Amino acid sequence: MSFAERMLRIDRRIIFLVIGLCTLLPLLYPVGLPIRISSEVRGVYDYIDTLPEGSVFLLSLDFDPASKPELYPQAISILRHAFRKNLRVIAMTLWVSGTGLADQIVSQTALEAGKENGKDYVFLGWSPGGSAVILNMGQDLYNAFPADYGNKPTKSLPVLAGVQNLRDVTYAVSLGAGNPGVEAWYVFGKDKYKFELGGGCTGVMAPGLYPLLRSGQINGLIGGLRGAAEYETLIDQKGKAVAGMDAQSTTHMAIIVLVAICNMFYFTMRRQLRRQGQIGS
Amino acid sequence: MIFLRRQLPLLITMVTGLVMAAQYYVPHPASEQLLTTVTKWLQIIGGFALVLGITSLFHVHAAKIRRKEAGWGYSLVLYAGMLGTVMIGLWHHGKESVDGAMTSFGWIYSYTLVPLQGTMFAILAFFIASAAYRSFRARSREAAVLLMAAVIVMMGRVPLGEYLFPLSGDLSSWILNVLNASVRRAILIGVSLGAVALSFKIIFGVERSYLGGGKE
Repeated sequence: MSFAERMLRIDRRIIFLVIGLCTLLPLLYPVGLPIRISSEVRGVYDYIDTLPEGSVFLLSLDFDPASKPELYPQAISILRHAFRKNLRVIAMTLWVSGTGLADQIVSQTALEAGKENGKDYVFLGWSPGGSAVILNMGQDLYNAFPADYGNKPTKSLPVLAGVQNLRDVTYAVSLGAGNPGVEAWYVFGKDKYKFELGGGCTGVMAPGLYPLLRSGQINGLIGGLRGAAEYETLIDQKGKAVAGMDAQSTTHMAIIVLVAICNMFYFTMRRQLRRQGQIGS
Repeated sequence: MIFLRRQLPLLITMVTGLVMAAQYYVPHPASEQLLTTVTKWLQIIGGFALVLGITSLFHVHAAKIRRKEAGWGYSLVLYAGMLGTVMIGLWHHGKESVDGAMTSFGWIYSYTLVPLQGTMFAILAFFIASAAYRSFRARSREAAVLLMAAVIVMMGRVPLGEYLFPLSGDLSSWILNVLNASVRRAILIGVSLGAVALSFKIIFGVERSYLGGGKE
């Protein structure tokens, strides 16, 4: 077996070690390279920033703990921004396994901003039905969520004064890790009930949502950890996403180098085989 | 019996499908009231689907344990984990915290589910890197183009890549916004047309697989 062949069949534990080190070292010794703001993320930020005080802002945290590293910092940044702008925040989730996490995110950010539950914000929790919940909220919010996560009747909450259904929502953002998520909020929500919609998603999902962005079906998109880091930079409150960007930088570069090495050995091997006449040109 | 098994479900599907398709275009209050009622029913059915799913899961694993199939011990763990979590969850009315204090249900959620799901997702990075090393090769012109696009997008999405190759950010944005968006849109249009066609087939009783098997 030639050297090139041996390298192509390298023990995968060596690759795991390289990726592990590339993730760990930048977290221990951060560099803090500047983060360029994309127009996709700025779309969400600018819209929230121009909303008048007291506008109704709906945040749907449609993810579970598996997507926490990417969507948790997005949710924290958006909520910090919304609370800073004194918007009336309605938070909820369409993913049952994300309810606890969503509750933690909303309570923690509200506490930090000094906001009062029921008056400045409400966490509605989860309701069964997936995308049907969006339709039901569009018809009658109190029908979909008669009580909030703390079992308080939603009709009596000052934060929901004047809000009957999704038509009364000024801006909604869905942070989705799959289905139901951003697409469901467009198809069953925005298209029928005519509110402005923004999206956030994991890195792998982002390319799939660009058609919605380009056609104006969503007015902005926060994609993955990079999107979260951009939002943290925009609100000038750097957190876990900015801290993780160095690790993501080195990991991406490590994968690029690994792919380049793999191709180098692949072509070397092909040349050797061609010389030996084992494959045609 | 055939009427109850076949004809009645087909009739219900057809009437419901046609009425709800028409409802979208009728803004009359009665039409809106119909949608409100139907969506509430959808939520209720969604709740039952959850019960059905859990029952089915229990059934599958009970059979595994009974027959002592390979890996039946994992089924026991699933039983213990699920029953334990359900009981503790019911005890705390499904609340992870009460007045800011974490319940034992919250403890299970925060210290088992969150790290376990996080770990599952995190190990993907290692497998993706390993798979990329083994299979991402420029075997043909098309593969070489895909490889170049991937490298540019990977560089353009991280600060270090933009620092080393300043054009990568704009190039990556162009690839995502123009090439990727147009291809995705084409796929979306195809999928949507397929969904419309399938809906018509279901409404008019051409596609009947949702009725399940069994005797006529």
